[in-house]
Amino acid sequence: MTISDETLMAYADGELDLAAREAVESALREDPQIEKRLAQHRALRQQVQTAYSAELAEDVPERLLAAAKGAASKQGSRVVNLQDLRSPIGRNTSLARPWRSRWQTAGAIAASLALGVGLGFFMWGRTESMLVRSADGALLAGGQLAEVLSAQLAAEQSPGSSVRIGLSFLAKSGDYCRAFALSGALSTSGLACRHGEEWQVQALIQAADGKGGNPEYRTAGSALSPAIIQAVEGQIAGEPLDEAAERAARRRDWKAGVR
Amino acid sequence: MNTSGTPQNVHEQIVALLPRLRRFARNLTRNPHDADDVVQIAVERALTRLDQWRSDARLDSWMFKIVRNAWIDELRSRGRRDKIFTTAEAGDNIGADSMASQTELLSVQSAMARLPEEQREAVGLVLVEGLPYREAAEVLDVPIGTLTSRLARGRQALQAMLGAEAETT
Repeated sequence: MTISDETLMAYADGELDLAAREAVESALREDPQIEKRLAQHRALRQQVQTAYSAELAEDVPERLLAAAKGAASKQGSRVVNLQDLRSPIGRNTSLARPWRSRWQTAGAIAASLALGVGLGFFMWGRTESMLVRSADGALLAGGQLAEVLSAQLAAEQSPGSSVRIGLSFLAKSGDYCRAFALSGALSTSGLACRHGEEWQVQALIQAADGKGGNPEYRTAGSALSPAIIQAVEGQIAGEPLDEAAERAARRRDWKAGVR
Repeated sequence: MNTSGTPQNVHEQIVALLPRLRRFARNLTRNPHDADDVVQIAVERALTRLDQWRSDARLDSWMFKIVRNAWIDELRSRGRRDKIFTTAEAGDNIGADSMASQTELLSVQSAMARLPEEQREAVGLVLVEGLPYREAAEVLDVPIGTLTSRLARGRQALQAMLGAEAETT
């Protein structure tokens, strides 16, 4: 009696009904070749299951747990978050006009990020300690990110730093802005502009491939996400700051009005 | 598996499924980052569509299907521009650090990554995730005969790639 490979496979998978099972079993008793083929199916099944069992023991990222609990909070969802970045801005009438128009630009950028990224790659669990939300809802740099933005010259940073500064420039709005990157398996890059005492985060994106880990985009722009480049290009007035200009800006605490 | 559930414990059940959803998504996308994004989208989608889940249906199958659809949507929206062909690399990275016996186990995963998509899905659902044929066919939206023939071809290809190893184990 011949047993097709699909039948034998189904037998190994426990998918046959009683009659078909009995037919296979009687064939098995008669033909050692069939038994050998069955052993191959079983061994492969076992081998595949073993190979994939380790993945079940991995830690599940916080953002997925949050999503499953239905707590896909403003903090947890990348697209919502970028829209959040925009929404308080449109509403806040107390902002001075130049700010307002600039924020509308940021809003357009945020919207293009939200749309263009499709699948974003934001791992808020890791970055949120560096991001804080102001009373009026704007996203601000916090913690180490704020410190590095204020203190670090691009030319003097150490390669191992977890926050890297890219180019700095004076924006059309008259404020200083700096591109930055957070290192990690998935590298986040963003653009922050100094407003008053705060660094306001205007755009934020996480590299899809982790190649942004060492952002040498100071001159070439190669590792910087296209969305951030777009944000920079939309706002920059003139040329990026050179080292001397950066140093001078830092001395003024990045307050552009103080000339 | 307990598939009946009040909305309350559906959340818990989904949390419990996350490791399997991620694993399935990795098989699908062959890229761990895409996989997590797809799982997040699928989970968010599932929670807004809980009313469409028949409580007599298996939650895992239902979720696998949503994960798969989310990935199809994503590929479509990328216009298949960067549909990932390079997957040896991505495949080899998956779970690499959590593996006890890297050489042998990696060969299974990289062999899987080289399977054509249809076979990879079938093998992923039946052999890796342990779904019955009927459930797997349902997830993939194909007749059972189609599923079993993809599964058979996938197995043959794996067997060929993994050499005699499976025979002797």
